[in-house]
Amino acid sequence: MANSDLTSRLTVIFRRVFDNETLNVSRGITADDVEGWDSLTHINLIVAIEREFKIHFTTREIAGLQNVGELMDLVSRKAGVSD
Amino acid sequence: MLSLTKSMVTSLDYSELALAGRGANLQCLPKLRLALLSDAATQLLVPLLRELFRRGGFALELYEAPFASIELEVLNPGSGLYQFQPDIVVLLNSTQALRVAYFQARQTGSDFASEVEARMVSVWDAIHGNTAALVIQANYVMPYERVFGNYDLKHAGSWYDTVGEINRRIALKARERAHVLVNDIDAVASWLGRRVWFDERFWDLAKSFCATEFLPAVAQNITRISLAARGRNVKCIVLDLDNTLWGGVVGDDGVEGIQISAHGDGEAFHRFQSFLLALKKRGILLCVCSKNEHAAAIRPFEEHPEMVLRKDDITIFVANWENKAENIKRIRESLEIGYDSMAFLDDNPFERDSVRGILPDVIVPELPEDPADYVKALAELNLFETTSVSKEDSARADLYRAEFERRSVASSFSNFDEYLASLDMRLDVARFESSRLSRIAQLLQRSNQFNLTTHRYNEGECEAMMRDGQCIPLYASLRDRFGDHGLISIIVARPRTAQNVLEITDWLMSCRVLARGVEECLMNHIVRQCAARDLEFISGTYIPSAKNAMVKDFFAKFGFERVEETTEGSTHWRLRVADYRELKTYVHPQVTDQAFAAEAL
Repeated sequence: MANSDLTSRLTVIFRRVFDNETLNVSRGITADDVEGWDSLTHINLIVAIEREFKIHFTTREIAGLQNVGELMDLVSRKAGVSD
Repeated sequence: MLSLTKSMVTSLDYSELALAGRGANLQCLPKLRLALLSDAATQLLVPLLRELFRRGGFALELYEAPFASIELEVLNPGSGLYQFQPDIVVLLNSTQALRVAYFQARQTGSDFASEVEARMVSVWDAIHGNTAALVIQANYVMPYERVFGNYDLKHAGSWYDTVGEINRRIALKARERAHVLVNDIDAVASWLGRRVWFDERFWDLAKSFCATEFLPAVAQNITRISLAARGRNVKCIVLDLDNTLWGGVVGDDGVEGIQISAHGDGEAFHRFQSFLLALKKRGILLCVCSKNEHAAAIRPFEEHPEMVLRKDDITIFVANWENKAENIKRIRESLEIGYDSMAFLDDNPFERDSVRGILPDVIVPELPEDPADYVKALAELNLFETTSVSKEDSARADLYRAEFERRSVASSFSNFDEYLASLDMRLDVARFESSRLSRIAQLLQRSNQFNLTTHRYNEGECEAMMRDGQCIPLYASLRDRFGDHGLISIIVARPRTAQNVLEITDWLMSCRVLARGVEECLMNHIVRQCAARDLEFISGTYIPSAKNAMVKDFFAKFGFERVEETTEGSTHWRLRVADYRELKTYVHPQVTDQAFAAEAL
């Protein structure tokens, strides 16, 4: 999976979940930077990513994410493709 | 207006629904005030509920209580819950929260169940004491952990056994309280699969009580119960015959050639007919609409020994070569019900699409290709939700059939008056009483057309009026020589002695008994009562709805003068009692002494 492909697929998901058509996904973004990103929308985000990439996160993985970069690394690893 | 049609028969995807719920336009829809109280997080459920209620024709006004504050909200008369003045209070208890309490508890399983039951009942009763709202209580989804394996069921007080015990108690206690309906969330979860229902990650992280993909099913269950409580019920099923009610084509294969035997190749159809018969006994009308020669189509009902449905089970039988939508229109006119309370079942996708296209409000579910799955498909759609059962329900199908007999009698009388006189109609008029409250509330929810103000009082509110000395809540039941129509009309009036006025706030009647002289009989009676009590005026209001245009000029017919019209189209009317001229009627009133009694008079 090419990184740009990962970014564009995640961007589609983020825009849908946070209902914001101008949102751009980049590694440095954290929950504080995105309006409406709380523990509940976090669930929507995780479920949408699990569905899109057909992967499954553990509770620890979900709770431990610090920023979008870590999320991207996790998705790449779980989806079985390195950058 | 979108009816419940679409929300009932389309599949429900979580993210689509959640998105649809965000931008929904709710203007023009009647409001419904719903309070949501839970020991789990419910924020994800909210947009789904909004969207499903919108599809059902209601703008949802929602009160979300703070997380896990059910008792705090309910026991405090000054809480946000009561300030909100809900129509419906949804109580959503989660198995996960119960699990925490169970494993911390020091009591035995049975004591624990008693305590949970007592707390729940005190919540219901506190709500009942503070508001007339309907309560929709979820039961618990049966847990997936079985500490003893299958032996859990044999071991009294095990976690699994205790949840089952609590669910049983919820059902029993709810039966004793008309204002409490059960949201059988365990049935929803079991259908979908408890293995995937519980997503423990999201409970741990955010107290979400089930996997998000199943939240729409939870929201839909709550919506269905609420809409049923608002009178959105399926009242009539219109059935195709060939390959729907039986296998094969009766016109080609003959009565002997169709498949309907309880064993062998007809078993699926036999099962389907048995399910339909159970619905008919519950009060849902069955009609036939088939492209067939009438004589051939009716023969299986009369002659085939293994048919479950007989001719008498069918309220209206239409078999001809005309367009089915046209035939359904005629059936609707005869029954005087709304399209949105009719479901059409046909194995042929062309006929289904054509009816959907012409009559979009009729509920037309997809039927599976395999007739073996017909009942299962209908069960999954849960089209026949109801919130009460009364004697009138089970007699309804027979009453309607008697009505059609009555109409054929009518055609043999040259003079309609002569016919009405021959019916020997007797109208019992009485004040609301406890034993009739369930039927009274049901009629209040269901009457749309002959309904002057369309106030949807629930059973609790009816009970309050019954006990209110300042209120005259009346019901009327009609009998004639063909049978008993049951309770068919409701009038609520309030004497305003200071203004010398009797104010009629509600007047509604079942359309089954239109044009019989029932309303004339009732108005004559009311005017006489006012005259006897020296009340000088009677006033009344008409509030237009989507369906009640037929009573727009109701008061004018009785000689009331229009005194006011609001910009919304509501009209206010007034009659000087001394000016009233009695209208002719062949209905004989049988009035109990207390019927009109109110302490205020």
